[in-house]
This record gives sequence, C-alpha cells and structure tokens, in this order.
Amino acid sequence: MSATSHYTSTGLDNRKIAIWAFIGSECMLFASLISTYLVYKGRSITGPFPHEVWKDPSTGHVFKPILNIPVTSMSTFVLLMSSLAMVLALAAVQNKHVPKRTLGDKILGSSKLWLFMTALLGATFLGFQAFEFTSFVHEGLTIKTNLFGSSFFTLTGFHGAHVTAGVIWLLTLLMIDFKRGLTPDDALNVDIAALYWHFVDVVWIAIFTLVYLIR
Amino acid sequence: MATTYHPGSDLEVLTPYTPSPTPATATVHKSSLWSWITTTDHKKIGTLYLFTSLFFFIWGGVEAEIIRAQLGGPNRHLVSAEMYNQIFTMHGTTMVFLAIMPLSAAFFNYLIPLQIGARDVAFPRLNAFSYWVYLFGGLFISLPIFFKLAPNGGWFGYVPLTTRTYTPGLNVDFWVVGLQILGISSLAAAFNFITTIINLRAPGMTLMRMPIFTWMSFVVQFLIILAFPAITVALFFLMMDRFFGTAFYDMAKGADPLLWQHLFWVFGHPEVYILILPAFGLVSEVLPTFAKKPLFGYPVMVYSGILIGFLGFGVWAHHMFAVGMGPVADSVFSMTTMLIAIPTGVKIFNWIGTLAQGQIRYTTANLFAIGLVGLFTIGGISGVMHSSPPADLQQTDSYFIVAHFHYVLFGGSIMGIFAGIYYYFPKLFGRMMDEKLGKAHFWVNIIAMNLTFFPMHFSGMLGMPRRIYTYDAGQGWETFNAMSTGGAYLIVVATLIFLFNFFRSMRSGTPAGPNPWGAATLEWTLPSPVPEYNFATIPTVTSRYPLWEGKDVDIESARINQQGGKTAKQLGIVLPYNTIKPLLVALFLVLMFCGLLVGQRLLIGAAAAMAISLYAWLTSPLEPEHH
Amino acid sequence: MIGSPRLRRLATFGAAATLALVLGACARDYPNTTFQPHSEYGRAIDFIWNRLLLLGTLVFIFVEGVLLFVVFKYRRRSDDVVPPQTHGNTALEITWTLIPAAILVFIAVPTVRTIFETQTKAPANALQIEVYGHQWWWEFRYPEYNVVTANEIYIPTGRAVNFTLRTKDVLHSFWMPQLSGKRDLIANHTNYIWFTPDSTVPTTVWNGFCTEYCGASHANMRFRVVTVKPDQFASWIEHQQAPAFFNAAPAAPAVTPAANSANAAPAQPAGPTPAQLAGFIIPKEQVPAYTIPQTPLPDIKFDDRLAGDAARGQQLFTGAGTCNACHTISGNPLAVGTVGPNLTHVGSRIAIGAGLYANDARHLARWIKNARVMKPGSIMPTLGKGQFDPQSNSAVPGGLNDQQVADIVAYLQALK
Repeated sequence: MSATSHYTSTGLDNRKIAIWAFIGSECMLFASLISTYLVYKGRSITGPFPHEVWKDPSTGHVFKPILNIPVTSMSTFVLLMSSLAMVLALAAVQNKHVPKRTLGDKILGSSKLWLFMTALLGATFLGFQAFEFTSFVHEGLTIKTNLFGSSFFTLTGFHGAHVTAGVIWLLTLLMIDFKRGLTPDDALNVDIAALYWHFVDVVWIAIFTLVYLIR
Repeated sequence: MATTYHPGSDLEVLTPYTPSPTPATATVHKSSLWSWITTTDHKKIGTLYLFTSLFFFIWGGVEAEIIRAQLGGPNRHLVSAEMYNQIFTMHGTTMVFLAIMPLSAAFFNYLIPLQIGARDVAFPRLNAFSYWVYLFGGLFISLPIFFKLAPNGGWFGYVPLTTRTYTPGLNVDFWVVGLQILGISSLAAAFNFITTIINLRAPGMTLMRMPIFTWMSFVVQFLIILAFPAITVALFFLMMDRFFGTAFYDMAKGADPLLWQHLFWVFGHPEVYILILPAFGLVSEVLPTFAKKPLFGYPVMVYSGILIGFLGFGVWAHHMFAVGMGPVADSVFSMTTMLIAIPTGVKIFNWIGTLAQGQIRYTTANLFAIGLVGLFTIGGISGVMHSSPPADLQQTDSYFIVAHFHYVLFGGSIMGIFAGIYYYFPKLFGRMMDEKLGKAHFWVNIIAMNLTFFPMHFSGMLGMPRRIYTYDAGQGWETFNAMSTGGAYLIVVATLIFLFNFFRSMRSGTPAGPNPWGAATLEWTLPSPVPEYNFATIPTVTSRYPLWEGKDVDIESARINQQGGKTAKQLGIVLPYNTIKPLLVALFLVLMFCGLLVGQRLLIGAAAAMAISLYAWLTSPLEPEHH
Repeated sequence: MIGSPRLRRLATFGAAATLALVLGACARDYPNTTFQPHSEYGRAIDFIWNRLLLLGTLVFIFVEGVLLFVVFKYRRRSDDVVPPQTHGNTALEITWTLIPAAILVFIAVPTVRTIFETQTKAPANALQIEVYGHQWWWEFRYPEYNVVTANEIYIPTGRAVNFTLRTKDVLHSFWMPQLSGKRDLIANHTNYIWFTPDSTVPTTVWNGFCTEYCGASHANMRFRVVTVKPDQFASWIEHQQAPAFFNAAPAAPAVTPAANSANAAPAQPAGPTPAQLAGFIIPKEQVPAYTIPQTPLPDIKFDDRLAGDAARGQQLFTGAGTCNACHTISGNPLAVGTVGPNLTHVGSRIAIGAGLYANDARHLARWIKNARVMKPGSIMPTLGKGQFDPQSNSAVPGGLNDQQVADIVAYLQALK
C-alpha cells in the first residue's frame, strides 16, 4: 500500500506494525534455538567441545577448545558497527532534502554510502562466520559430530541466514537508491529494514554472550 | 430509532425484505473461476477457507469412522496395524491443522474487516498467499495416505520413534515438511490480522468497542506468532536429523527425547487455545443477539481471553506428567494448569449471565452456542481432573484423555463453529439456512457426540490405553467401545443433514436481508451477501453495539451501507487488483519443500521460480493509483 | 420447539444411563479398573480422584442446572419485550472468580502433598525390578537375584517394589491400571515408580499395558503381574534363578554330532534340586480369564496333530531354527542371544508374544512359523517353510517344516 493517507487507527503504517509482530515471532524462534543450545550444553558425549580440551579415546587425538573468542569478538564488533551504519543510512534518507554544506555533512548524509557500508559490514561478518565454520569443520566439528555441533551450527546458521537475507534487502535498497534515488517518502521502507537489521544484531549479542562468553 | 433492528422475529416469518433492483453484487454467485483464483478479497478468501476446511473436516471424519469401525469390537482387523497407525495420526493432524484452524481462519478472514469497519485486511495479497499455502500444504500432507505412506508417528510425533532409526520411510518426512508448510500459512495470516486489527479499525472503534469475536481472534493471532516458532524449531531439528544426520534426537549421541516434548508442547498447549478461542468468540456474538441483550461482562470476557492466552504459555508440561520431571516441576505445572481454569470458568458464567433475563430465541445458531457452553463445561471439568499429577498418572495416555479433548474440541470448537456457520451463512450467501434441518442437525449431533465420547471417560478409567489399533476381549471395554462406535455412525448422519442443508440453502434458501437476526455489530449493517467494497461509507463508531445503542451517526452510515446496489466504481472506491502472484509464490514454495523429498533439481528450480514470482509480487502495485 | 416433556424424558434417560455406567464401573467385570486401590499409593491417588469426582460432579450439576434453568426460564415469550440491557455485574464477577479458585485449593493442596509423598525414594528394603522396554516386549530383571525374564513378573504382597524404568529403543510407558499410576520409559533417562501392594491382595494375575505410542505393535505390548504371598515369591524366585531343565533322550538324532561341530548337543547340566523343581507357579485355576489372551489366530496353516520331540527341539533351537541368535535359555550354553525375550522358563508363563497369545502348542507353533504375521512389525524372522513375510513382501526361502516347529514347541513347553 502506498504511503498516502489511508486512515489508520494508530497513525502508523501497516508495515511498521507488521515488522514488529514479525520480530516478536522471531524472538520466539531464536529463544527456542538458544534454549536448545543451553539444554544440550555440556551433554555431548564426544568432543570437540566449545571451551574445553577433548582427547578422543579411540584415536588419542587431542582437540583444542573449538571456539575462538578473539576472532569472534572482532566479527561481533563488525556487526555492531554495521548497526551504526544502518542508523546513519536511515538518517540520510530521512534528511535527503536538508542542504549539506561541509564535506563531513555530505559524507554523513550519503544514503548510498551508508547503505553500502551496512551491507559491506554485514557481508564481512558473514565472511568471518564462513571462515570460522570451515575451520571448525577442518578441526573436526561438523553439524553431525555431536550435540554441540548440531545445536551450534543450527543456531548460528539460522542467524547467518537472517543476516544474509538482511544483506540482500540492503543491497536492493541500494540498487533503488542508485536507480531513482531514495527520498524521505521511502524512509519507512528503510526504517523497516533498519528494525530488522538491529534485531538481527541484538540476537547476535545474545548468541555471542551465551555461546562464546559464558562457559 | 434503529431502522434495521427487527425485534426478534420468529424465523419462519421473515422480516419483509425486498431485494434491491440490482442485487447487491452477486459476488458469490456470478464470479468466474479465475476471479476466485486471483482474488485478494478477504471475503472470497474466507469462503475458500470455509469450503476447503469443510472438505478436510469430512476427510478427518472419514478417518475417525474407520478408527471407530475398527474399535467397535475386540480384536477386529478392518485395517492392518500399520494402516490404523497412519489413520489415527492423520485424523489428529487433519482435524487440528486442516479442519479446525482453517475453519477459524474462514471466520477471521470474512468477519474481521467487516466487524471493525474496514474494506479489507492490511495485506490482501499476503492473505491470498496464506490460503494457497494452506491448500497446497494440506494436499501435500493428506495425499500420501493413498500410497500407504501417510505420517504414522501420531499427530504429536514423539522422538525417537519418529527419527529415521525407528521410522525410516517417507511417512514422517511428509509430516515434518507438511507441518512446516502449514505453519507458514498460519504465521503469514497472523501478521496480517494483527496489523489489521491494530491499524484498520473504523474511526471511533476503540479496542474496547471491538466485537468480542475480533478480540478473541486478536489474542489467537498473538498465540500463533509466539507458539509456532517452537514447533518450527522442533520440526526443523527432526528434519535435519532425518535428512542430514544431525544429533538433535540421536539417542546414541546423548540426545534427550524431552527436548522434542518440551518444544512441541510449548507450541501444543497454546495451540489448543488457538483452537478454542475463536469458537468462544463466535458464541459470544451469537448468544447476545438471540437473548436480545448485550454480552454480560464484556471487559471481563476480553481480559479473561487475554489471560488465557498469556497463561496458556505456562502450562505446557501438564502433557508430560508421566515423564518424570520431578516433584517440583510437576507441582508448578499442576498449579498453573489449575489457575488457567479460572478465567475459562468465568467465561462460562458470563455466557449464562448473557442468557439470563433475556428473551431467548432457539435458532439453530443459538442452540449450537448453548451447546458449546454445556459441553465445554464437561470438557473443562475433565481437564481440571487431569491437572492433578497423581490422578493424571492413571488418566494420561488413556481414553479418559481422548474423552476430554473431544469434549473441548468437538463439544467446544466444532459446536462454536457450527453456531458461527448458521449465524453468518445469511451474510455470506444472502440466503437463510433451513431452520428445521438445522435443528435436526443440532439434536442428532448433540446426542451422537455424547454417545460417542462420554463412554470414553469410562473405558479410560477402566484401563484402556490410547493409540491402540485393537484390544482384547474380556477387558471390560467392549460395551463402551460399542457405544462410541454407534455414536460415531450417528455423527455421520448429523453431518450429512448439515451438508445437505448447507448446499441446498446456498442455491435455494430464503433470501436474507442485511440483518435477519436483529444483531448489533457492523457486519449486520451491510447487504447480504456483502458487496466487494464492504462499506459504501466507512462508519464512525460510537458504541460497542452500533445497531442497538449507536448514535445517529452510526445509524445514518448504516442506512447508506445497507442499501447496496452500487459498484465500487460508482462509489469511487479503489479496490486491489486481482493477481495470481500469491498463488504462484505459494505453489513454488510448496514445490520447493517437495524438492526436499524428491531431489535437488526440484528444490533449486522451485526456489528460483519462487524468487522470481516473489520479486514480481513485491514490485507490482497493490491497487490502481488513487487520485 | 423444545417441549418440556420431551426434554424431561431425555434428561431421565441421560441420568439413568450415567448411573448405570457409574455403578457398572465398580463391578467385577472391569479387570483393569483404576477405581480399586491395592496399595497406599493407590489409595493416595484414589483419595484425590474421589475428591475430583465429587467436586466435578457438583460443579457439573450446578453449572448445567443453572444453564438449563436459564435457557428455559428466559425463553422468548414476546417479540415486543426488550429485556433489561445488563452489561455486567462486578459483584457477580468477583464471586464467580473466587469460588472456583477456592474449589481449586481443595484440589491443589492434596495434589502437591501427594506428588511429594509418592516421589520419594523407595525404601531400602524394596524389591528391585529393572524394566527395559523394547519394541514391543518387556524385559524384566531382578538384580538382587540375578534373574532375567520377560513379559511376566511375580511380586510379593506386603513388600515395597521399586521399578527402575529404562528403554532400549523408543519411548514406552509402564502401566498396571489396578496397581499404580503409569510412568514413561524415556531414552537416556532412568525413571522410577514404587509402591507396596497390600498384604491383603490375593494371589492373582493383573494386566499391564504399554501406554506410550511406540510404533506398529504398541497395542500388542502387554505384560502380566502376578501378586503372590511372600513365601510363594521366595519359591518362585528360587525356581527362576535355576536354569531350565528337562530330561529326555533324543528320539532320533536330528544331526550326527561331529567332534567339534558347533551344533553338538550341549552337555546336560547337573540335575535340579527338588526345591528348584518345585518352584511356585500360580495354579491355572487361579489365573483369571481376563489375563489369558483371547487374540484370535491369524490364518497360518499348521498341522496341530504333530507330536513334537523336545530333545530334537533343543537341537533345532541352536541349529536350523537359529533361535539362539536372539534368545537366551539359561542352562543352554549355546543360547545366549539378547535381542529377544529371555525364554528360560517360558513354559510356565501365562501368555506369549508379550501378553498377546495364550501359551499353548497351537499358538506357539504359529508364532514360530510366522511371528511377523502374528505380531505386526516383529523383528523375529518368519521361520516357517513357504510362509509369507509381510515385511519383505515375499515368501521366505527355506525355513522350518511343521515337524521341526512342533519339536521346538515341545522343547519350549518343557522349559517350565
């Protein structure tokens, strides 16, 4: 529906309400996935384990703790910064018509730049995830290996899929910005994308805390 | 004063109604097949839901009849053990997901915009999408029975029985994938209705002026969006285990079967409130109309509905009293379960309060509504009996439970839905259903239902386990089972009466006016059947009962709206385009899921086709440009 | 419309039917009733149940009564009267919220008390029985006595019995309706249920059922519980501890024993003591009819006139029959399989096939010939020559002929 005045009971656009309902539902989805991870924490019969060493009794091979906190801290930082970029992108679209005098203003006010940065940082996060996952597989942890592998990869995989969808969404907005330019009339669309993006970020904070930081 | 309020006329003597020269858009009768396939009109979509779900109700009923034929006597072998296990699995799955939920959806779709004074739902194409996903998903999960490949793990699919280790065939694959498809349908619809109810209410319709059916439906949509993710995750894990060898339910790798049970019942318990609250809402609409007085305790009815929805997330493990959770968990869930009986009981009393001091008309719709009040009470009482774990350790997994949930689902949900069908049939089709046949349906039904399910309380407490394809003679269960089977056959008779009445009345029932019952809410200010644009002029609402207690402005817009005879164009109302895109996206989505079972090429091909049609959908306008 | 006389008739019929059903539930024709407690545990459940039933019935009568009263009293008498447009009544709302809450307290308090009372640990001197659920039979072990049996247990009255519940495959549930509540058998979990059968419980047999859907033959996963006096139990368990004995010279050697042949007839173990031989088994007259299965025989042809030879049967058991691949018979050193039920004293059991068929030659023979037709889903192979295997959808190649089956039957029947 177009943004032109359809009467609404709340004054909000339908899509704004829908995205919040959607986010509510997604909270339950990730809560179920995180709960599964926590329920199975410490119950894998064989390793590799997230925070402890494991010696395979049959081969004698010693597996280091598989999680790499320093590297994942970096990717977390990248994702957090992408949320900042998203905020700037939204502001840029909302303030498209405000005259920009200084170079600094122009940079801050470039929706193309910040949409691109958000997508880039998001994609970088995904790159980190891909690197991490492949190295885990090399080190002997696959999605089939044990309860930890299954619950970890499924949880982070779901999250990564959500980030991927977000990146595609952002690139689409970027494409539209290049084709016809995003105006304050499009602010709602960008706002909704921003809400989704921030949600995905918050979920990562929960995952990072519960999976990586807490032993 | 109120021009459309006809004080309780006996229905054999219809209020004088002359159809306007151009009958209010014969939307239902004269439209083409293509207009149905490409519709985004909530009324057409609601009608599609109604017919499809009635079909599945019969389908589930046939499955029930086979079950009862087999269990009518000891040691029968009408069907093999394996076939019986497929049939009882599908009976539950069909009735819950393909019959009762979509019957409720039919009412959500048709009624909610009309009740709140809107022209359609917030996202009309998404609405169509929900229906087509339901239809295709329903076929996906129902057709395998013809190949003896129907799901056979019970409707609740406990692991590790449903893992590939113990049930290697395609049966459970169909179930795991099919339910995820159906979940998408329900979730999409829920986002739609939440937005619609929050945002598209007519001016002056505050939340506490909304019709009670809309309120109950509102609560239900929240239950859906918060409960379905749990079963989605549970199913996803099972799917990953079955297809990709993950460890979620792999007992050898230390998995815990209770993970499935907790996830399933975190969904499963809110699900039963999803199944009953719409019926409660319908009863709350019907009783006041036929008692000629407002719903007793409307705010309490709203708050108790919200409370039931909320508490419904805190009782799930009462399905697990036999698994050994320990005394603390058993006690906590026992207490929360008893707690939830209170707002439920309060509703019963408020309904009785609605009838008290009224001038009650015994229309078929009202009989069914009263029937719900009476029968749900029985189901509620047996429910409270289950809430005590020591007693439940005898009751659980026996026919006592089967008795309980059929009283609340058949005596509750189905009775409420029948009430709604008889009540709203005139609004949908512009014709009345036959009252004599309706009453015959009611009486045969209520006798049959009690004859079928009341004896199960006894066979259960006398030791008969659930989910058994046969039982030995001399165990003390024969008489009760024979009674249940007799009752089940009688239910067939009742249903046939209903179907005959339904379809005959569609074609040749007495023409109905805008408000044949003398009801109070906005949908009754519109012609029957409702024109495509619903309201010629969006009313301003000043009361909970516009036609009974509304001010002049209510009445004036009602007068305009009920005249009908004009097209949208004549009124300058812009309606959404018809489009096939939602159907295509739904079709390719389901084909994509089929690809999980068939092969990668179908999976990828369907995914690509879905992406393309989705892109087309998202980039095309909903409706023509406004001026 | 609704005539008062018609409804009164209906109500009377309904009341009479209900009364008949309720009275009927107490009669002796209900062998699996949950309404007759036989232990403290049973009485605790019964106390709560009776309270639930009483309160439930009162609520039922009250609510339905008020409903019917209101529906009749306020039926439409005039089209012109507009009834009082009451919107609600706060005092009523509070009342009918608080009263149900109060009623629930009467259920909640004994509930929580009983939960904690019945989930304490079993007393130290309880008889320990380990239960292992299989698809679709019950493995029972008495660890203190080193006894392994299947599908049938004896328990002494007046002594606590503690069941330890584990499953070897999918979920099952252990239920003896007359004796106690049920408890699930959950993979990777150990559950417990214990109670003390009253000393007054007679020496008799009770039915048990699996009550968690576990696949094809869930309905056929039954067991028997025999309550006996303590001295009878001591005698029984001593007999169970002994290996299976029978003495018979082979009528004609089925296989010429080679020096190192794996099929050499096993050496006869030392003879049983008289006490062991005289082990208590519940007499046939005391076995109630409802514990003897009446499951009809599927259509499997077998020549019932054939006389079986137990000694030949013993050889076939570990020979052409390959029964020892899955079954253990204590005393037969070649029979140590653990896939299927322990058959050491199968001859004295009340039923076979996990409580599914009567334990006699007719049923045993057909069980051996085609277990898969006798019990859907059974992993015991179809053994009879030319028999159709429903799981592979084809006739079995080779197999045992009727005489061989009769011999094995004779052997098994001798294992008392």
